[in-house]
Amino acid sequence: MSVVTTLRVKTAPGFRVDASALLPAPLAARAVAEIERMVLPAGNDRCVIADLFDVARSGDPAPDAQGAEPALVIEDAVPWLDRLGAHMTQGHLIVRGTAGDQSGFQMAGGVLRIDGDAGHFTACEMRGGRLTVAGHCGDFAAGALAGDMEGMTGGTLTIHGNAGARLADRMRRGLVLVGGDAGDFAASRLVAGTVGIAGRVGAHYAYGMRRGTLLLAQRPTYLPPTFADGGRGFDVFWSLLVRSLAGEIAPFSQWRAAALPHRYAGDAAVDGRGEILVVGEPGRQR
Amino acid sequence: MSDTPTLQINGTTIDATFAEAFPMKATRLVITAHTPAWAMQAAHSLTGFATSVIGCGCEAGVERTLENEETPDGRPGVAVLLFAVSSKELARQIERRVGQCVLTCPTTAVYRGIDPQTSRAPLSDLAPLGKNLRFFGDGWQISKMLGDTRYWRVPVMDGEFVCEETAPTVKAVGGGNLILLARDMDAALAAAEAAVAAMRRLPNVILPFPGGVVRSGSKVGSKYQGASASTNDAFCPTLTGLSPRSELGADVGCVLEIVIDGLTEADVGAAMTAGILAAAGRGHAGGLLRISAGNYGGKLGPYHFHLHELAAGLGGSSA
Repeated sequence: MSVVTTLRVKTAPGFRVDASALLPAPLAARAVAEIERMVLPAGNDRCVIADLFDVARSGDPAPDAQGAEPALVIEDAVPWLDRLGAHMTQGHLIVRGTAGDQSGFQMAGGVLRIDGDAGHFTACEMRGGRLTVAGHCGDFAAGALAGDMEGMTGGTLTIHGNAGARLADRMRRGLVLVGGDAGDFAASRLVAGTVGIAGRVGAHYAYGMRRGTLLLAQRPTYLPPTFADGGRGFDVFWSLLVRSLAGEIAPFSQWRAAALPHRYAGDAAVDGRGEILVVGEPGRQR
Repeated sequence: MSDTPTLQINGTTIDATFAEAFPMKATRLVITAHTPAWAMQAAHSLTGFATSVIGCGCEAGVERTLENEETPDGRPGVAVLLFAVSSKELARQIERRVGQCVLTCPTTAVYRGIDPQTSRAPLSDLAPLGKNLRFFGDGWQISKMLGDTRYWRVPVMDGEFVCEETAPTVKAVGGGNLILLARDMDAALAAAEAAVAAMRRLPNVILPFPGGVVRSGSKVGSKYQGASASTNDAFCPTLTGLSPRSELGADVGCVLEIVIDGLTEADVGAAMTAGILAAAGRGHAGGLLRISAGNYGGKLGPYHFHLHELAAGLGGSSA
């Protein structure tokens, strides 16, 4: 029977709080009283969990938790709570509302689900696991911190709503799916990995793309001039990719191997080997 | 021949002896292609010249054909098994054979066929598959991680050659065998073909010799220096009365052997049982006089497949 720890917001502070210590497995190993005494960084200040949350403990598996993994549920919106699930390696962390910035920062495993919107730098430098945002997401999702060389390097980020600018900037590995639109510079400087966008893309998408795959469900209003129309004979890869997306959100899960997308290769400006696959613009049928 | 009581099925004598088999390293590869015919072309090419580790580097064969829904890319496929005496040699053979026989074959792709989660054979290590073959792409190759699996996409003239980065290998069993002693060549061939057909219906095993049958059964060593194996004179019908080791009576006119490699001891045993049942089904009336097996006294190989144990329950009668 898994341990479920629930944090219900008592008082929203007037400042931002670093929640990177709020991880399912470590909290499951602590008594409630011990959790209440934990101190969280808040800029140059500190605050005690008992001042922010009512802490509850349940031995029953949460309805949302799967298997016997420990779970941490944060009730209510916590837009002031940053770095939720940072460095998480296991367990389920569920936020029943909006979360702050840097959720899932360098997350390596487990499941992080945000029922509302997520702030900037969501899944920044994520390494593994699964992060799902039911609402919209800020800028630099799946990207890298300023000065760092690599963005997301593993795992799956699913954003049901819209994503901000610089989505998947410098991303190297993993899967990012956006059910809505993406802002400017989506998949910019992409090193590798797969980015899927169901809605519209902003300006300068795929800018400086080195390798990797950008999936567009809709034909964009323009194509980058440094991408070449071409590339045939990728049927086998497309079949593998489509099958790997079968368990993800629509429309990606509904794509079929028989309908080849149109392929553009680039970014030639950086001698790139990346590809934009426009699914809304069919290529040749198999 | 042993002095212990023999078993008979349909009048065919089952010798009270055992086949001696050895540990090997093995893997399964799944080859897919645009059509079943091209998948089989690649499989046949890859498993060609792979009858014995003595001279071929590995023993390989087609395990079975795969329907579209059984393969990673949804295309028709073929499962092949490769066996070698060491992980290093197996890796070398995989790289050479996939590089020369699958990469070159139109429309093909190749994937790992061993699932570490479900394998009953103990896992060994990971053999490079696309890890080194990717360099054929001359810098145009693309690595792609889908889930936890890394694929390589190598541009070739018909599109892309797609393969997985590595293939898991397992600790397997090689060298199970049946020796069929018949009245004449027709009877020996008929019994061997029936046994091969029955054994090839089973999973996890291959019969690496031509048509699954070997006529040049061997013994360890030779009178000549440098020869590690030589003809099994004990079962050569032209040497009855000459070879002191001869195990053939005057009624035996032809002997054929079937060698079985399998992923587990149980797989080899099941195949040998199926082979005994099918061959003995032709019976003494069909010209199959005895079924025996090859061993080295039980001192070399840790796996011993006793024919009487395998044939227990097949409807035989003790004599």
